[in-house]
Amino acid sequence: MKPPPFDYYAPASAAEALELLGRYGADARLLAGGQSLVPLLNFRLSAPAVIIDLNRATDLAYIKEETGRVRLGAMTRQRAIEFSPLVKSRLPLLAEATRWVGHLPTRTRGTVGGSLAHSDPAAEYPAVATALDAELVVRGPAGERVVPAAEFFLGLMTTALQPGEMLVEVRLPALASNSGWAFEEFSRRHGDFAIVGIAAMVTTERDRCRSARLAACGAGPVAVRLRGAEEILEQGGLGDLNINAAAARAAELVDPSADLHASVEYRRHLVHVLTRRALKRALERARGGGAAPLRS
Amino acid sequence: MAEPRKIRMTVNGQAREGWAEPRRLLADFLREDLGLTGTHIGCEHGICGACTVLLNGEAARSCLMLAVQADGAELMTIEGLARGGVLHPLQEAFWEHHGLQCGFCTPGMLMAAYDFLRVNPDPTEEEIREALSAVLCRCTGYQGIVRAVKAAADRMRSAP
Amino acid sequence: MATGDGKLVGARMRRVEDRRFLTGRGTYVADYLPARTLHAAFLRAEHAHAKILAIDAAAARASAGVVAVVTGAEMAPLARAMVAASTMPGYKVTPIPALAAGIVRYVGEALAAVVAESRYLAEDALERIGVEYEPLEAVTDASAALAADAPLVHEEAGSNLLVTREFACGSFDPPPPADLVIKERFRFHRHAAIAIEPRGCLAEYNPGSGELTLHSSTQCPGLVRSALALHLDLPEHLVRVVAADVGGGFGAKSSTYPEEVAVAALARMLERPVRWVSDRREDLLTTSQGWDEIIDAELRVNHDGTIVALSADVIGDIGAYSVYPWTAVIEPIQVVSFMPGPYRVPNYRARARAVATNKAPTGPYRGVGRPPAAFAMEGLIDRAARRLGIDPVELRMRNFVRAEEFPYKTATGIVWDRAGFIECMKKTCEALDYPAARAEQERMRAAGRLIGIGFGSYAELTGIGSATPAAPGMRVPAGTEAATIRVDPSGTVSAIFGVASHGQGLETALGQVVADELEVPLEDVRVRFGDTAFTPYGTGSYASRGAVLGGGAAILAGRVIRDKTRRIAAHLLETEPAALEAGGGELWVRGGAGRRIKLRDIAQAAYAGAKRLPRGMEPGLEATVFYDPYYGTATPATHAVMLEVDRETCAVRILRYVVADDCGRVINPLIVDGQIEGGVAQGVGGALLEEIRYDEAGQLLTGSLMDYLVPGAPELPNVETHHLEAESQVTLGGFRGAGESGTIGAPAAIANGIADALAPLGLEPAELPLTPERIFQLCARSGVYRLATGLA
Repeated sequence: MKPPPFDYYAPASAAEALELLGRYGADARLLAGGQSLVPLLNFRLSAPAVIIDLNRATDLAYIKEETGRVRLGAMTRQRAIEFSPLVKSRLPLLAEATRWVGHLPTRTRGTVGGSLAHSDPAAEYPAVATALDAELVVRGPAGERVVPAAEFFLGLMTTALQPGEMLVEVRLPALASNSGWAFEEFSRRHGDFAIVGIAAMVTTERDRCRSARLAACGAGPVAVRLRGAEEILEQGGLGDLNINAAAARAAELVDPSADLHASVEYRRHLVHVLTRRALKRALERARGGGAAPLRS
Repeated sequence: MAEPRKIRMTVNGQAREGWAEPRRLLADFLREDLGLTGTHIGCEHGICGACTVLLNGEAARSCLMLAVQADGAELMTIEGLARGGVLHPLQEAFWEHHGLQCGFCTPGMLMAAYDFLRVNPDPTEEEIREALSAVLCRCTGYQGIVRAVKAAADRMRSAP
Repeated sequence: MATGDGKLVGARMRRVEDRRFLTGRGTYVADYLPARTLHAAFLRAEHAHAKILAIDAAAARASAGVVAVVTGAEMAPLARAMVAASTMPGYKVTPIPALAAGIVRYVGEALAAVVAESRYLAEDALERIGVEYEPLEAVTDASAALAADAPLVHEEAGSNLLVTREFACGSFDPPPPADLVIKERFRFHRHAAIAIEPRGCLAEYNPGSGELTLHSSTQCPGLVRSALALHLDLPEHLVRVVAADVGGGFGAKSSTYPEEVAVAALARMLERPVRWVSDRREDLLTTSQGWDEIIDAELRVNHDGTIVALSADVIGDIGAYSVYPWTAVIEPIQVVSFMPGPYRVPNYRARARAVATNKAPTGPYRGVGRPPAAFAMEGLIDRAARRLGIDPVELRMRNFVRAEEFPYKTATGIVWDRAGFIECMKKTCEALDYPAARAEQERMRAAGRLIGIGFGSYAELTGIGSATPAAPGMRVPAGTEAATIRVDPSGTVSAIFGVASHGQGLETALGQVVADELEVPLEDVRVRFGDTAFTPYGTGSYASRGAVLGGGAAILAGRVIRDKTRRIAAHLLETEPAALEAGGGELWVRGGAGRRIKLRDIAQAAYAGAKRLPRGMEPGLEATVFYDPYYGTATPATHAVMLEVDRETCAVRILRYVVADDCGRVINPLIVDGQIEGGVAQGVGGALLEEIRYDEAGQLLTGSLMDYLVPGAPELPNVETHHLEAESQVTLGGFRGAGESGTIGAPAAIANGIADALAPLGLEPAELPLTPERIFQLCARSGVYRLATGLA
């Protein structure tokens, strides 16, 4: 389990990286945190001719707040997100999801951009991005474009990134008032990829549900937005029965596949269970229920 | 650009250098080029954690890094944990509480625990278990390890 | 540190070996890299069953840094295939080639080796070897492999059924009448040992002396040495096997593997050191696996809970080869040998069949046969208890072998010496506060939670001597071990053993025994093992034998040294040996003020020769003594677990875990507790998480640690361990083995706990591991859930 040989470049900036990407095209792979790509190299399941290592492109690592939103550079480490007071207060859903991403030593290296661009169906960050309508900033030979999350994750480990393009930033809306959030996950062991994960955000207006955001990972080829379930909540409110109805709807909306650890039916079942748990915890937080327990 | 290149790093406070192809894993570089065999290799896909080292003060898998990526970095390996023959409180606690049997996961376990106690100096048992999920131990059932990390945390907090 | 009587045996002492492990100064096989070392990588079969029509290695041979590429056909003249022999009637042999030639029988089997200047370059060359296969139909299910028209894994064997063993005790024609008959099919899937250090070895050959040295991550340096001599046609005294620090074994490193033979052959051929360190993929593909049995069992009981009869029919899927030297017999036949467990079973009938399939071989793994046996037997007992309305503890108590019945010969001929079968159960219940636990369960059940309490009781035979083969019919001399104790002229002690440590702490435990016997402090004793060049002949560590055989040999050799020391001391002090007292490395004349002598001075006298020794005494202060415990001794235990099944996610959470065992006289409680805790951890993994899976074509689906799930810290409970310490009357020192114990009881207890939790739903699972998916499917099929739309 040793990587195959490759040419290696470690550009010092995003611009240099893009230039290299332009030069080597499909022969090149971008190396972000390496927590997914290096195992693939070690197993020799990936054998790119050229590795463009982004870890010295320091201009890609930042967390910045703007009015109503937070911008994260693609090379921002998961560990930096975990310990960022800004993320904790403005993007608490992302902060909570981060605790489910691998382990502290993998979060030391793993990056937000790497996770999003890898688009593993069981990964947590794509679900958060999908739930929150993140904007993904993509830079390529033709300049920069902004891709909404709904159009970024296309299929199993496939994104809207075109040859020569790289993800440089993700923009997430900051927490609105009267909002509550929860990330629920079921995995076989702590730190494993999700069997199913649910990202939830609800915003209340007196007793009404002004908006609900729900997305699932592990329940289809890509992270999936559960719009039909959100509508049930926005129309019918956040009562127990309605939450259960939304959870049941969520289980119908997903299109999971079977693998070693879980069948299609079990995954659907978990979507139901976890959606309900996530909504209840999010609602509690929205109502100012204080610090609800991180794990149920 | 696939040719070996010179790599310089500070390991356990000492300036070290060597030559490595870009594909050479940091774990192999530490073990075979620098002779620091205390860092162990158990899976080479980032799950077992035996190869965990401190990279610029933070725990990371040395099997998921290229040696070239650590050029210019400051590393600490298990060999650097005891100072001047005096064991670190974590090492003492692992010894006292039987936090190891075959010893193979121990270096990674100690490095991960060291990092964890820096970010969480007063952890609950549940938090310790969650943090230790970063490293697999097949011998102990973790019971002695959990006790050891708790004891070390207590001692490190009370020490100046 | 020492116990109240000043003895070290029994004292909770931290381990002497730990300092080097804690500081990164262990010496595992991959840490040894002599100059000019070459690195081997193996080309491994992509098909589970295929003919090798052609191998094109030209490009690989021309690849950068490659020194040699050796195919199976080229290896054949260099190394004989290993044949695990057995005297069992009808046993069919399955020779294991160092490299497969002509045919491959499981995915991952090595068929060629590349030797290069680095492992990286060797792996590059592997990709350049072209193999033309003719795929053959693979058989991956043991029941299917028994069919008359099934593809044969070994054509020459004529059948996939490698051996059948039957037991019959009492009358089954007709079956004895009983009030209740419980029938169940138990399925325990495949398990992997997953030592965190993968296997590996490094061979050095000196053409000048003709000596071959193999450094190997093995539990059994003695067995590997014999195997290399035999299969490489070398005189055994020119073969040296070194196992320095070994990073876990759990049985899976007790076999001799084809890679060890191949690497040794390559070093001899190339006259350079050759190293192979398995990566995790190779480990999951090729290291011997455990369990994989179907157990059809029937228990006949009377209304009062008395066991009348037991029968079991076991099919063991042993994979593609009968492992060397233990044979395919070891796992499935041990299931039926131990199935009656700690109970009085007057009528027992059993059959075990070891069946070859196109999967990796199974072999000894912690517990060997007994985890599945206990899973089935304890499952039957709990089923009987539920049907009869008798408490499961009470039902066990009525059937345990009673104190007055020891020594008790089981239906399969195993002799239990007096041990605390009943006492273990009593202690477990007391520690658990069983009535309170049941009451709490009732309260939580009333609140809608699925709470279960499960027990697992068993007895294992440990420290077996020459009367009992490690595997039935096996020809390995596994019944003896020796200790060499040498006091050097400075008075420090080397104690050298054929048993070896792969994490058990034998350097400390055996050191405690030796120090007590010699009446010296522990720091004056250095325990050494793991190098056949200086150890007395021995086989290694397996079958929970290290403390019993090593400890017994230490006592015997220690006595010789102590007697001689006293005779020399008496001579030098001009008194009688009986007038001497000893301690702390000194001897003195009782009541004789000031007349004392240090061990150092005695040792110097011993080496000085006849001038300073009693007339006729042989000089020197060294003894090698062999020990044979003959039958071995019982280690019983009861495990109890209280757990919850999440009725929504189907995940199992362990709330409490209690073990009471009788491991005889405890040498070091710290170490024994660690053995139990670690053993339970592997049993919990086997019961809830871990499963080796293949698809129907024989492709391994669990080829990484992302797919094969070793439990992490959050998945495991704290184990409350209690030791009864009924000293064995049949072993020297009263020791019983403890290494495997924890793994035997845990699957049974957890399976029973889950069944108890699900009892209100009318569910009675009989398959392990009980993954959330399996529990979900049980619930779904029973109508507990209306899928996806709502919860009951």
